[in-house]
Amino acid sequence: MSIERIYETDVLVIGGGIAGSFSAIRAREQGADVIMVDKGYVGKAGATPMASLGYLVYNKEWGTDLNACIDAVTRKGEYVNNREWTEAVFADSLSTYKDLVAWGADFPIENPDGAPYFKAYSPFTIIPVGTPTTGMPGRRQAEKVGVKIMDKIVITDLLKADGRVIGAVGYQLLGEDLCIFLAGATVLCAGFTSVLKGDGDAMAYRAGAELTTKEYAYTWPAAGKLPGGRRGVAAHNVFMRYRDSQGKSIDASDTYEMDLTMEFLVHEGRAPIFWDLGAASPGDVERMRKRQESAYPWDPWEFDPAQGGKIEMNGGDGGMNVCSQTGGIWPVNMKCASTIPGLFTAGECCGTRYVGGYHTAPGFGLTGSAVTGSRAGRGAAEFAQENRRPAVDEAEVARLKRILASPIERKGGFSPRWAAQMLQNSITPYYMKYIKHASRLQAGLTIVEFLRDHVVPKLYARDRHELWLCHETRNMVVSAEMVLRASMFRTESRANHYREDYPRRNDPEWLAWVKLQERDGGMKLWKEPVPNEWWPDLSRPYEERYPRRFPGE
Amino acid sequence: MAIERIDPELCVGCAVCVDSCSMDVIRMDEKSGKAVITYKEDCVLCGFCGRDCPEKAIFLSPVICAPPTVAW
Repeated sequence: MSIERIYETDVLVIGGGIAGSFSAIRAREQGADVIMVDKGYVGKAGATPMASLGYLVYNKEWGTDLNACIDAVTRKGEYVNNREWTEAVFADSLSTYKDLVAWGADFPIENPDGAPYFKAYSPFTIIPVGTPTTGMPGRRQAEKVGVKIMDKIVITDLLKADGRVIGAVGYQLLGEDLCIFLAGATVLCAGFTSVLKGDGDAMAYRAGAELTTKEYAYTWPAAGKLPGGRRGVAAHNVFMRYRDSQGKSIDASDTYEMDLTMEFLVHEGRAPIFWDLGAASPGDVERMRKRQESAYPWDPWEFDPAQGGKIEMNGGDGGMNVCSQTGGIWPVNMKCASTIPGLFTAGECCGTRYVGGYHTAPGFGLTGSAVTGSRAGRGAAEFAQENRRPAVDEAEVARLKRILASPIERKGGFSPRWAAQMLQNSITPYYMKYIKHASRLQAGLTIVEFLRDHVVPKLYARDRHELWLCHETRNMVVSAEMVLRASMFRTESRANHYREDYPRRNDPEWLAWVKLQERDGGMKLWKEPVPNEWWPDLSRPYEERYPRRFPGE
Repeated sequence: MAIERIDPELCVGCAVCVDSCSMDVIRMDEKSGKAVITYKEDCVLCGFCGRDCPEKAIFLSPVICAPPTVAW
């Protein structure tokens, strides 16, 4: 780390997916100087390029009913969505869609009658996303409005002074520089907790921010025998029918994330589960072909429905996964400010809880990220204009520099690849993150605490690439601890959080959000009640409030 | 879809694949000016390098799982 460079700006945006792009562009439109950094390449990195299915748009001209949409999210999310945020995402969705169209994003029309949205996800209107997806148009627009983009910069920690976030510390992956960013306001858009790493959440946690809603699992199924694990995934989205090993048909066409259906079947010993392509009509095959060719034109549809009994499905993706667009850093207002002055968050690391305990339908991820990105960008620019940045705390800079470089300065230690794999092997099995029980969660937590206390402080990097892996592993361990502790804390089942030892919803106790924060060196958890006006009518019988039954209820 | 090989005869050194890889698997070789697979073990099988290569110089294997890391 021979060369140290200091960059000063009004707004620093960390992460260059769709949330980062909207943040940076909006902050720039407010007149702020903006730097946007990404550990990969802005526009191609993170979760955004993977989001190939849909974009949620509420447009009353299409006959969509706003209240019906919000109520549907509340029912599916089982009454733990923040309805103010749910409404904000619907309300802002059309303008963000129009922005993306203006920036050159591709939204193919796939319906024979010319309707721009999928017919399958009533009452929502979800626009199919084509390729190129939404990442590169955001990058081009950011460049056009004068955002300074810095690719391949690994941010390792947020920088604080006087109780405020005043920037971040990181390094160049491909060069020699150590980078210190000093910013009037910082927007964290480095989420991606739904699948793997959660850099943003971990950095905010270490900086003392409050976080929330880490207990709901992401249960999007992946086709285990499709090359790359993702080929055919776009087509798969429009034909969600399966068959278990006993030949029993499973029609999941009215769900999106499968509500743990596969995990329950696997737990009963009914794996493997197959994609039931044999049940597809010629019309279904044509819909799948169109969807696949819109989303992945380089990877055309080539599946013979007769293969139906051969394509095995996996359950939810691996990783620390939390139901996306719900858990993350607690926003204290509708401008996505965190509990720490100077720190704003957007995208998957912003804990809006707008889908509650269940990722309602495709397209909610991209749209939620664009909406929170827009709001956080404006909020951060305003904050930077209205508040003087405190002086840099040199001792804190020195401390963070030591943490940044320590894995590469060690003579030896643990490989980050090995440590990440040990973590995933411990946490990702279905009996840990999906079908939960206090005894197993405690076992997982014991392993995570060991990794946290013994392995992470001894991670060893032979070069800057491995240094990046070390810092990601450090963040993944924090994310895993949040998921396990929040899951242990919520002693009931609800939406995509299932406790075998507490298989019923417990409304009087648990119409609440789980919050957490680092206090005195440990992770402290507590409840934040859902406002009473958003509760279901408790005079109605339980079975009417919650039509879906959990095993063991 | 794991990255298997970059054909040095076909590669023109445009570095598009370096930007497409979010895992930093591909780097540019300073001497030859061509793209080289540098951290193959970190490939997450997204296939974006092969998709974006304008010269079709990148070959992806049909492997569907990343190899496990067994030693510390």
